[in-house]
Amino acid sequence: MTRKEQKVAVRARQQKHLSLMSKEQISYVKRKKAVEMIWRIFRFLIISGLCFVILYPLLFMISCAFRDKNDMNDPTVMWIPRHLTLDVIKETASAMKLGKTLVNTLVINIGCSLLQVISSAVTGYGFARFRFRGKNILFGIVILMILVPPQVILLPQYDLFNSLGMINTPWTMYLPAMTANGIKSGIMIFIFRQFFRGLPRELEDAACLDGCGPFRTFAEIMVPNALSSFLTVFLFAVVWYWNDYYVCNSFFSSNQTLALTIKNIQPVLNAALFNDASLRVSAREYVVWTQAACLISISPMLVMYVFLQKYFTEGIERSGLVG
Amino acid sequence: MMKNKKTRKKMSYEKQKSLYGYGFIGLWMIGTLVFFIIPLFESLLYSFQNVNPQSGGMKGDWVGFSNYITAFARDPHYRTYLFDVTADMLRTTPIILIFSLFSAVLINQRFKGRAFVRAVFFLPVIVASGPVYSVITGDMSTSGAEGAAQFSTVFETDMVTELLEFTGIYGLSQTLTETIKHTIDSIFAIVWKSGVQILVFLAALQNIPPSAREAAQLEGATSWEYFWKITFPYVSPVILANLIFTVVDSFTDSGNKVMGRIIAMQNDWKYGVAAAMVWSYFVIVMIIIGILFLIAGKHIYYEVE
Repeated sequence: MTRKEQKVAVRARQQKHLSLMSKEQISYVKRKKAVEMIWRIFRFLIISGLCFVILYPLLFMISCAFRDKNDMNDPTVMWIPRHLTLDVIKETASAMKLGKTLVNTLVINIGCSLLQVISSAVTGYGFARFRFRGKNILFGIVILMILVPPQVILLPQYDLFNSLGMINTPWTMYLPAMTANGIKSGIMIFIFRQFFRGLPRELEDAACLDGCGPFRTFAEIMVPNALSSFLTVFLFAVVWYWNDYYVCNSFFSSNQTLALTIKNIQPVLNAALFNDASLRVSAREYVVWTQAACLISISPMLVMYVFLQKYFTEGIERSGLVG
Repeated sequence: MMKNKKTRKKMSYEKQKSLYGYGFIGLWMIGTLVFFIIPLFESLLYSFQNVNPQSGGMKGDWVGFSNYITAFARDPHYRTYLFDVTADMLRTTPIILIFSLFSAVLINQRFKGRAFVRAVFFLPVIVASGPVYSVITGDMSTSGAEGAAQFSTVFETDMVTELLEFTGIYGLSQTLTETIKHTIDSIFAIVWKSGVQILVFLAALQNIPPSAREAAQLEGATSWEYFWKITFPYVSPVILANLIFTVVDSFTDSGNKVMGRIIAMQNDWKYGVAAAMVWSYFVIVMIIIGILFLIAGKHIYYEVE
């Protein structure tokens, strides 16, 4: 039977059903179909509208970053550049000192994220599976860490690092990350605690009977079971460290990370593109360069997101935060 | 050696386990003491002091509540900013929650291209916490680039008033129009700040057992009834989590006006006043969160297991 014949058969069957139904039933079925149709159109409109709102800035960045100098001053060019070129990207990259900044950012980012994931996993496990005195108060401190904005404690922290002579060194980022006190570490400890609480206790009991100490149990039994959760938290840590400019700004006096460079993009661009910080540029050129800089700075995250999207979304669902 | 062994044997399993517990959280405890608790108290101290940065660190003289008085009574912006930010938070939080629940219900349905739509909806999670977001929203000062405004005004035209007048609605109450206008104006911000909330709601929606859906269908429930009788009770526990997340997120956002004012004070070397501002802001937000907890806690349905 071909597809067409199948369709005809289905329709005939439906006709037969319709003929069996009373008038009211027929009108009910029709109404239901109409409502469904309208809802579909409505849904399509809403979803495409929302997608546009989200994608608009990114599309705009891409459109800007690849356009030629002539297109910048051409008011008829709004979205699609007439002449595609990599010049703007190249110029912006050199203005941002991309090579050095990127390496710096990556070293701090990957290092801190790794350290912090490990340290908060260990802490979260401690909170999830052991009973000790003062546990509730200590966990209250974890909640407090989520609630207190970094601005409150940054100045005393600066003092501390200053007295240790660590300002402008990556240690200002590594040390807190190492002890599960870095950026958003409260949330990370919380997620790991929830996750480990959800794992069956039999795993540990079996390991204990086999003569495995708690630390070995954690490293050899619990960690392999939690790998996907580790990956999710690690990805979020990478994103948070990548986007942070506030903490970096306090501890570094120069633009050492990409986020900082973007935050101070204006002087950076002025200084590098025109060798004269006081020069006024045409607004359009300016916008194009700024957008190109933004695109450069988020493209690593976007690439990561495209390939590992599953871990971002499924991770939260499985982290035990819900249900 | 012998004695050691004996005491070790005597130590109960429970006690041993609790020691191991301290072992696991030990590193965090040290770090928290050094990087969190002590700085927290120091900044509380700063708020009562006249702080002067010196070569050996900070030196402060006790001045009592005068920093707080300066923050609230003498500072030209702090009070208005505080009011604005709080009002804004109270206004947008319910909208974000409703919007993200709505979007979650929407993307939970089956249609073509769902995977792509989901990916797009969570995209803001990656971008919105960074400095790129402030470039996108145009918060960043673009002095010398006045003409740039035309690029970012797509969402800023006064469509609401026009639409209302077009449909012939004139005499609507002022506050209502303001609220609607505010909502439409900030659609961009709302969509961009709901990524995590949508994700959490979506996860909760997928936890609804299929049997509940079947039962509802058998009883002939309409989708409207289904939403209020089945969906809503099942997601209500996460509503509180999302509520707190949204409030904390907007409160700790370094882009908001109060935070900006505090940073400006710090850049001015007025650390004492800055600390006083941070602490009073913090206390106010904690009070708000506490009230929310009390209200929301009463209306939440927990599935008994």
